[in-house]
Amino acid sequence: MFQRSVVIAAVFIILSGLFIFPTEGEEKVIAIRAGKVHTVTGGIIENGIILIKNGKFLAVGKGIEIPEGATVIEVPQGVVTPGLIDTHSHLGLGPSGGITEDNEMTSPATPGLRIIDSLHPRGLMPHQDSYLDAIAEGVTTVIARPGSGNVIGGLSALIKLGGETVDEMIIRFPQDMKMAMGARGGALPGYPATRMGTAWTVRKAMNEAQEYADQWEEYRKEKEKNKDATPPKIDLDKEALLQVMKGELPVHIHCGPTVDILTAIRLGEEFHFKKLSLGHATGGCKVAEELAKRGVAVVVGPQMMVFDEEREELVNLADCLLRAGVKVNIMTDADVVQQEFLRFQAAMAIKYGMNPEEALKAITIYPAQLVEAADRLGSIEEGKDADLVIFDGDPFDIMTRVLRVFINGKLVYEKKGES
Amino acid sequence: MKKKLSLMLLVVLAFGLLWVGVSAEQGVMAIKAGKILTITAGTIEHGVILIEKGKIIEVGKELPIPPQATVIDASNSTVMPGMIEAHTTIGLRERFEAPGADETTDPCTPQLKVIDALNPFSKDIKEVVFGGITTALITPGRLNVIGGQPAVVKLTGTTISQMVLLEPAGVKISLGEGPKQAYGAKRRLPSTRMGSAYLVRKSLTDADYYLNQWKEYEKKKATDKEAKKPKVDLKLEPLAKLLEGKLTAFIECYRTDDIMTALRIIDEFKLKAVLVGCADGHKVADEIARRKVSVILSPMGTGPRRIETKDVTINNAAILSRAGVKVVIHSDASLGVGAIRELPLAAAFAVKGGMDRDEALKAITINAAEILGVADRIGSIEKGKDADLVILSGDPFHYLTRVEKVFINGETVFEKKEQN
Repeated sequence: MFQRSVVIAAVFIILSGLFIFPTEGEEKVIAIRAGKVHTVTGGIIENGIILIKNGKFLAVGKGIEIPEGATVIEVPQGVVTPGLIDTHSHLGLGPSGGITEDNEMTSPATPGLRIIDSLHPRGLMPHQDSYLDAIAEGVTTVIARPGSGNVIGGLSALIKLGGETVDEMIIRFPQDMKMAMGARGGALPGYPATRMGTAWTVRKAMNEAQEYADQWEEYRKEKEKNKDATPPKIDLDKEALLQVMKGELPVHIHCGPTVDILTAIRLGEEFHFKKLSLGHATGGCKVAEELAKRGVAVVVGPQMMVFDEEREELVNLADCLLRAGVKVNIMTDADVVQQEFLRFQAAMAIKYGMNPEEALKAITIYPAQLVEAADRLGSIEEGKDADLVIFDGDPFDIMTRVLRVFINGKLVYEKKGES
Repeated sequence: MKKKLSLMLLVVLAFGLLWVGVSAEQGVMAIKAGKILTITAGTIEHGVILIEKGKIIEVGKELPIPPQATVIDASNSTVMPGMIEAHTTIGLRERFEAPGADETTDPCTPQLKVIDALNPFSKDIKEVVFGGITTALITPGRLNVIGGQPAVVKLTGTTISQMVLLEPAGVKISLGEGPKQAYGAKRRLPSTRMGSAYLVRKSLTDADYYLNQWKEYEKKKATDKEAKKPKVDLKLEPLAKLLEGKLTAFIECYRTDDIMTALRIIDEFKLKAVLVGCADGHKVADEIARRKVSVILSPMGTGPRRIETKDVTINNAAILSRAGVKVVIHSDASLGVGAIRELPLAAAFAVKGGMDRDEALKAITINAAEILGVADRIGSIEKGKDADLVILSGDPFHYLTRVEKVFINGETVFEKKEQN
């Protein structure tokens, strides 16, 4: 009897829930009619219509019927792109040249640090408005990373730039482990002073993590025989590296010249890093085939053009890597270049010869693919998050202004004044 | 016999003259341009620029081209004067080297000369030339209160003397966070803003005393041949020249309070001065305009934002320019879209912020030449000026416009390769 009434009550609650939630969650459809829609994955649609509902794209195309009661936004001169994504950012983590919140330079290996514990949802002084500035220029998603002060910097987070709390902003945490090649830390005590010292720091940490894993494995075996076996002490740093070792966590490595790139690749193979990506990689062109062969992606920037001393000419790094078959993202490395200049970083690549559609992909769908979130981000497609930017012209032209920005179907920026 | 000889001499002479004439003729270069942005005399559509011995000898619409002239066909392109980066430290330090622009062993080092640190073979310099920048003010950094003596140099040459256009070009002074942080960390004066201002004031007061000693000596010498000559002080020499108005003070300052401190010092010592940085200039535009002080600024703030540059706005150049301030645009970042090589795009950002297009063009050419004191040589396409020219594929403010060719002193220093 009691059981039955519980079941009935439960059914009632579920049913009423079904009734209540659809009506409460039912948002008005937003329809955007724009002169040009860069879907990124489905070509460019002239005079396209985008329908948004419940924070997602409901439909995109030409001549789509706009449902009755929809909020219609008419931008006949507007150019729409997906929200822009920067996979290498330190946005709002403190003043450059001062003590920053992204570099815990008290030890060269700090894999247990979590960048989300340093993030402020608006940005720290002097960047207290940096998130809003970034949104106002169309950047909607970034990977916030520990800096490159340490050899192993800590855990990065994939965040959207809309939200009142950091937790609200997180798409995925941890996103990856941040490392850095080259001589780090300068003359700081306890820091490697050479490149080989840096590589050793990684190797040592990974070996210690392996020992730690072995200790736990031993404990598990021991426990089968002896229930009172003492477990090893939990080590947060090694726990984080264990995720890398098991292939659960991608690795992103800051690299400069070719020597650093080759070391990063070597370490990656030695420790079976899953989804290795490199940041900056200014010497990447010389080993582009090696990178392509191994499926190592490169996030290019903030230096877009690299001076080739032998040939005395500027090399377009993003374009050169792309042509060799490397997966390329374009970054600002905010605030080395301020976050809001992401589209102009891509414009630089175009100026010196990169295909404009590829450059757009390098700040939309390619980043989405790199972070394994292409089911939600990076293009204007049915079912994806409604993150989009409406420009008043060519998104890469300096004179072009952002008219509106949506994140998860919500208007988060609107240009004041004439429009 | 004598007559014959003189006739022969005459013939030889005539041939000689002819030969000289021909060779000079061969040295003429003519650029046929789709558009010439002269800067000081408007735009000439389908114009011609004649160059000889590194100088512009003629510019105009329907100029006859001497038959022997080397013709450069830029009839689908735009020609503008070589651009000027009015405040940079490039060439003072190669990548991966120890810092080279700040002698942080002493906060006041007016005696230092950048030419003693400048590497003519710096790859940073080469990169900048690729962007059509032909001249730069190379200056000490912002960590010393008085950093030293900048120089205006052409960005080509194998020796400093080949590069220098003007040296010393002034004295570099810096207020605000730079010296405060550098010396505060060492627990030395200046660890505050007032400390920095005091050091400038003290140095200039010392220089005033020094100048008077020399004036007195000159006076005494007229009557007394035995008059004792004051000791030459390398630190005070350039500061004395500042007080005499023979050198310009380039004062780096960003925040409103630092700008006002700079203006106070300028008033007090009647300095010929230029404000550099000036992120908050838009807040005190009238104060700057009233004193007829010019500014060198970066309008976009693409680069790392410091606490004292947090209020930088894209409208800064426009607001100052409209208030009547002579504005020079420079690029203070080293990477990405803010790189010095992309100077015209820095100016494009100022246009986006409301600055008049022509003013923005002047801000990277003639205005810079004027405040650096070299407008008789560079900054516009005018007869008699140095043939520092940039051939562009189109509008300098459009992001797709590429530099096709760069000339310094009439010599090609960059030429775009076909494939890219």
